[in-house]
Amino acid sequence: MEQPPLIGRRLAFVLGKGGVGKTTVAAALALGMADQGQRTLLVEVAAEQRTGALFGVPPALDDPVQVRPGLFALSVDAERATQEYLTIQLKVRPLVEMMSRSRAFHQVTQAAPGLAELVTLGKIWDLATTVRDGTPVWDRLVVDAPATGHGIALLEAAGNARELAGSGPIHDQAGAIEKVIRHPQATGVVVVAAPEDLAVTEAVEAIAALRAKDLPLTCAIINRVRRSPFGAADREALVAAAGSAAAGSPERAAADAALAVANGADHDAREVEGLAQAGGLPVAVLPEVPDLSPGSGGLEVLSAALMDDPAIGGADGA
Amino acid sequence: MAPDLDLVGLLERRRVVVVAGAGGVGKTTVSAALALGLASRGARVAVVTIDPARRLASALGIEHLGDVPHRVDPARITQAGMPMAGTLDALQLDPRATFDRLVAREAPDEAARQKILRNRVYRHLSTAVAGAQEFMAVERLYELVDSDDYDVVVLDTPPARNALDFLDAPERMTRFVEGRGLRLLLGPRSGAGRTGWRALQAGGHMVMSVVERLTGAQLLTDLSEFLQSFDGMYQGFSDRASAVRNLLASDSTRFVVVTGPRPEPAGEAIALWRRLRDDRYSLGAVVVNRVHAEPAGGGAPPDGLAHLLAAAGAADPEGLAQRAADALSAARARAAADRHEMAALAQALGNPPTAVVPALDDDPVEVTGLARVTRELEGR
Repeated sequence: MEQPPLIGRRLAFVLGKGGVGKTTVAAALALGMADQGQRTLLVEVAAEQRTGALFGVPPALDDPVQVRPGLFALSVDAERATQEYLTIQLKVRPLVEMMSRSRAFHQVTQAAPGLAELVTLGKIWDLATTVRDGTPVWDRLVVDAPATGHGIALLEAAGNARELAGSGPIHDQAGAIEKVIRHPQATGVVVVAAPEDLAVTEAVEAIAALRAKDLPLTCAIINRVRRSPFGAADREALVAAAGSAAAGSPERAAADAALAVANGADHDAREVEGLAQAGGLPVAVLPEVPDLSPGSGGLEVLSAALMDDPAIGGADGA
Repeated sequence: MAPDLDLVGLLERRRVVVVAGAGGVGKTTVSAALALGLASRGARVAVVTIDPARRLASALGIEHLGDVPHRVDPARITQAGMPMAGTLDALQLDPRATFDRLVAREAPDEAARQKILRNRVYRHLSTAVAGAQEFMAVERLYELVDSDDYDVVVLDTPPARNALDFLDAPERMTRFVEGRGLRLLLGPRSGAGRTGWRALQAGGHMVMSVVERLTGAQLLTDLSEFLQSFDGMYQGFSDRASAVRNLLASDSTRFVVVTGPRPEPAGEAIALWRRLRDDRYSLGAVVVNRVHAEPAGGGAPPDGLAHLLAAAGAADPEGLAQRAADALSAARARAAADRHEMAALAQALGNPPTAVVPALDDDPVEVTGLARVTRELEGR
């Protein structure tokens, strides 16, 4: 079966090691989808609430906040999602309140392995599948997942819960969620890396883990890739000029800075190549953007680059 | 700020070095480089890394880095230009293996041990319970210190949403295993709580019946069995948790906080440092990693570059000189931004001992690169 590009799937999960710019990539991805006319919800799972800063709005907690035309943001928190789940399941408010206050209940939710992840995933699934007046409330959901290990645990939560529960409503609901999460027409998972050996190594391992667990891996994204305006002939001249300039002179410093830019771009190109080879999958490349503050246009540059990639925006680049 | 701080010297003769900080700042590299420096000066050193990715393995060139300490070939280190008076062992935390050993040690007999190892709640415990990984990390740390095989153990802390999580991990885990409220409520199922308060139990049964309705009966049975299996092991857990707490709080331990010269990790480093200070842990130093050095030339424009490039045979010396001047301005701006960030950090923390590691062209994945970081940490 031909697999759709990421933009053709309702649910996109963005995974990656801490510090690689996962939140930025998720925001750029969601922005690109919204720009293509999809009513998009950007879901932040880690409790850091950094999405707001990227769009210059306060963090969204209980209700989605509109951050751009057609683009909304929401922060999902396991504790609140558990409350919500109980309210839906039990339908009796005093009972819900008693449960939430119960220390034993909190211990069960802590002890029942992966229940917090399951409830979080359930909330995402619910947002992705809710239909109002015959139309889905959200065309697209982009999930800024927790850092790699925890992110994979989130994706596995439904399958684990189905096995662990054995029977009962959680078993059945987990099964329904698992079906959507594993379906490559409905869900796509992207792994974000930075052009550093260790980040690439970790991304390759995450890719292997996602494959082994049969989760719908779509592509890798490598962020902050440096480019160089200096060609081979430029570099030769710069090396010669650096050699003839006085040590400690501004001329020497400028030639060295230019050569460092060229070497940095070479280094990053090797990392991109290494990730594509070791990962064995398409790699979308994002340039280093100096300013990501709202209004700087930095996020728009990243979002355009993502949508130009066939594995994300589609074969025709749109 | 003391730019020539010898951090390795500062940490000599400590038994434990905990390296903490936000994700992505190079904690693992700093841990390995500190361990290398201490081993080089004659200590028997073990470095524990936690991340599932084999970062340290790639940094140290060890192919199969597992839960068991693996000696780093001293020849690799001397070839990198470092003397090697001690030994360096590296290992990667395997939470399951660590917990299995803990159970083996604390379980009263073989049958009890097998029962725990087979329990489904236990099997998911090491990955699923909040703080379990952090708990295993400090547990493994304690095992290594306790073994007397090492003079110093360097611990690279887990990537956590909150870098402080591992400090609370032993206690959180003990409370979980103790499961006081839960035992009471599971009542007849676990045979515990026979003398429990009647009213609380009545409410509790209701809670449990709701939980059972949601999760199915199997989970509660497993959970109850799990807690039962840990009966009699609780004291061992609790003793160990206080021993770990005492070790981390003692003067034999030093905390090193790693950050990068950017606002986000620096904010985390500030929060971490203050919390450690307020809780009276022994602070070693702050390491600011990947700092961009100020380019030479004293900020003057490179006006003569076009001439030099023309002499070197460049096709468009003016254009190339302009692009090179732009590269220099960008490098100066980066260095200025890093200086600004470091000054803010020093001010926020009251000028703590600070080691600075410059941004390297290549990430240190070989011992040579690691040795370079070590020398920077030694203030050389």
